Amino acid sequence: MKIVVAIKQVPERDAPIHIASDGKWIDEGDLNYTINEPDAYALEEALQLKEKNGTGEVIVVCAGPERVQSTLREALAKGADRAIHIEADDLGSRDTLGVAQVLADAVKSESPDLILTGLQSDDLGLGQTGVVLAELLGIPSATIIMHVEPTASGLKVNRELEDGWFQHVELPLPALLTIQSGGNKLRYATLMGIKKAKTKELKTVPAAAASGAPAITLERVYLPEKQKKTEMLTGSPAEIAAKIVEKLKFEVRVL
Amino acid sequence: MVAGALQMTVETRCFAGSILFFQQPGFHPTRVLFAEPEHFSTLESVLLVAAILASAALFFWRFGPILRNILRSKKDANFSLFPLGRRVWDFFWEVLCQGKVIRQRPLPGLAHAFVFWGFLAFALVSVNHFATGFGLGFLSPERLLGGLYFLFAAVWALLVAVSIAGLFVRRFFVRPIWLGKKVSYESGFIAFLIFLLMATYLAAYFVAPGSLQIKALWWTHTLALLIFLPLIPHTKHLHLVLSPLTVFLKRDGFSKIPPLAGDEDFGLVAGKDVTQLISLQTYSCVECGRCTEHCPAATTGKVLNPKEIILGLRTYLNEFGPASDTPLLTEQRIASPDNPPAKYLSMEAAFECTTCGSCEYQCPVGIQHVPIIVGLRRGATNTGAWEDDYGTKLFLALEKNGNALGLSATERDKFIQKQAFPIFDGTQEYCLWLGCMGGYDPKGREIIADFARVMQHLGTSFGVLKKEKCTGDPARRLGNDLVFQTLAEAGLKTFETAKVQKIVAICPHCVRTIATDWREFGIAPEIEHHSEFMARHKDRLPKQQGESIVYHDPCYLGRYQEIYDEPRAVVAQAGTLVEAPRSHERSFCCGAGGGLAFLGEEKGERVSHVRARELADTGAQVVGTACPFCNTMFRDALTAVSDTPPQLLDIAQLTARALPASQPQSSESQPPVSGGVQ
Repeated sequence: MKIVVAIKQVPERDAPIHIASDGKWIDEGDLNYTINEPDAYALEEALQLKEKNGTGEVIVVCAGPERVQSTLREALAKGADRAIHIEADDLGSRDTLGVAQVLADAVKSESPDLILTGLQSDDLGLGQTGVVLAELLGIPSATIIMHVEPTASGLKVNRELEDGWFQHVELPLPALLTIQSGGNKLRYATLMGIKKAKTKELKTVPAAAASGAPAITLERVYLPEKQKKTEMLTGSPAEIAAKIVEKLKFEVRVL
Repeated sequence: MVAGALQMTVETRCFAGSILFFQQPGFHPTRVLFAEPEHFSTLESVLLVAAILASAALFFWRFGPILRNILRSKKDANFSLFPLGRRVWDFFWEVLCQGKVIRQRPLPGLAHAFVFWGFLAFALVSVNHFATGFGLGFLSPERLLGGLYFLFAAVWALLVAVSIAGLFVRRFFVRPIWLGKKVSYESGFIAFLIFLLMATYLAAYFVAPGSLQIKALWWTHTLALLIFLPLIPHTKHLHLVLSPLTVFLKRDGFSKIPPLAGDEDFGLVAGKDVTQLISLQTYSCVECGRCTEHCPAATTGKVLNPKEIILGLRTYLNEFGPASDTPLLTEQRIASPDNPPAKYLSMEAAFECTTCGSCEYQCPVGIQHVPIIVGLRRGATNTGAWEDDYGTKLFLALEKNGNALGLSATERDKFIQKQAFPIFDGTQEYCLWLGCMGGYDPKGREIIADFARVMQHLGTSFGVLKKEKCTGDPARRLGNDLVFQTLAEAGLKTFETAKVQKIVAICPHCVRTIATDWREFGIAPEIEHHSEFMARHKDRLPKQQGESIVYHDPCYLGRYQEIYDEPRAVVAQAGTLVEAPRSHERSFCCGAGGGLAFLGEEKGERVSHVRARELADTGAQVVGTACPFCNTMFRDALTAVSDTPPQLLDIAQLTARALPASQPQSSESQPPVSGGVQ
């Protein structure tokens, strides 16, 4: 099975985020970047499918500036067979369709059996790139996948629904799945992996220029504004308890 | 002249001999001579040559493959004989003086030393013994020097005979479990041979020279020696030949983990990764079991048994050879009838080691267990063969968050802000290293905060680093060279950028790793443990009276860095020092080392409980620690093993509690502790 894993490089989780002076993006100066977490699970799923199968190829693909190559190298170190870097310095100015388009261009010629990607990104969290990519390639897709099982005709997957419910879906190959975090256990990078990664292919392809203006543009980037409300309840303990229950029921609506 | 000398000899003999033969009835003083056969027939000489050749041939037939295995093992990367001084001293103290053998097991140790020294005394006698067989004897019992030497050897013969008999009784009747469950009959036979050698030697004082009896004694002695020789290579007695060399050649430094050599080296994966030093060490094992006796894993019901790791390696080398690609760890080999999965050289065993170093410290023949066990872990971790949920979580936390607790670095920032620690900017004398425990763990933070108060009290300027990552200690000990190297290089760079000159830390693991393990990638600034710092200033620290404090030696401070007195000096200033039954270099691990603090539940009894019980049983009011990991292990363990657990405090806390409160307003409401500041 030939599996393509589309990954994204995002700022580290606890990185101190500062808004750039133009207010349109974040200051990338002293940020450290890492693999988008759900993408790490997508990669893990791909590696496990290959290991279970005994044969196959895992290709990681990532669009972005040169710095994304470190994330691709890490993916190679964890066991991916080769990597494709789509050179694009203007990713921030492209909308989901634009990003999916460059990914589709790079992936099409590989004609993979399966495409995996994280269900959303840690930075923007739009959750659309995978689905749009499937649409552009004309293949079926399923989202928020916790478990993948190959069958004779295709795949059987578990979609995570709300409240602990799962949906079991069967779909033919080729297909695209967006993977939810936590379905598998991630592996750690090894010295041997890093050394092997050096000999693996990392191909660089240019991204086609954006075709026309993006449908969505960023107006302003800002940090979430903290809203903290404190209200002191007074009265006897019984009265306070009654007030708390009322607030939990009608204001917070958790009861 | 000659006559006079002879006369003197006789007198000396009489005097010395009288001790030996006082109770012999009808004893005639002038007959106290060591007897030797006077004449050997040609047939006897031919027989002797044949016997010697046969014995030597058998010896080399068995020793040859061992020597080949050692020599054909991989060369040790960056091994240097220099500096020689340390090697010469180790050889003198550990081999010639038997210092370690005696000190750590006095009675059997002394018995062993007598046998060893006896063997040395007998070297000359034995050479002369064989030379006599060819009429070439050079030591004459008739001469002063010869006679005296024979007497000297006789004293040793007696000591050896008594000692070997004692050791025989110990091995076959007392049977300490450390010697192994299986009784070694070969050892018994060899003990018998040694006894026979001594007996036949001593008996030669009671027979006439040239008599039939002396001939019989001479031949018995000869055959005993010649039978002994070929028994050496395949029994634990191989240590007679190898261990002096092993002690001389052992790697410099305690528990030193050698650098990986080249792109194909991932640690001990297969036979081809076993180095000459490791080979030599495994063949030197004398199976005394001191390593096992002191092992916190082996004594609490884990699979790991350091002796069996060494013997397992030896069996591997004998079966597969030093060039083999067969994995060392048994679960990675394809199990077959010829290859039953042995439990000792297994992944499970390798990852149960706390790297406390007791085994290595105790080993009398120079085996360095920790680098071997860590080497096996490296082989498993660097290749991804080790799959452990906790281990993976730890490595990912170190990769992503840069600390072993997996918390966000902003947590550390908040703590620094709350404590109002100054940021190190090059103007302060010390860089205070927080470490993962000091920066993130609630109890570790208390220790750091208290130590900072001690520094402030002493007027020492310090600052903390704006950003700090783990030293990589747990990754290092668990064999993850990728994470360790990344963290070590990042740490070195941080110190360089911040222009740090001197570091002080509360964690012995951090100190050891920064000072020693990082050296592979660069030289870190001078670093010391807070016990050293406080001991240096102890006269200016408050003297407290009353409470009894039992001090627990952390492995990474004691055995690893030989810091025993400094923390005790601090404890003595804070109360009455009580010693635990096992202390100093024999201290028993808390169970946290080697990355085990971050792994899952232990098999058998918890190491921390065993130690906590021991500490609580001293009856001391306080348990004093000098390592945040020991502290965290004992926190739960003490309450689990005792209904009225002693208080648990780090030496920094013991000191800081008597300091005047730092805020002026609280110093008014809180009078100094009784016996407080002086």
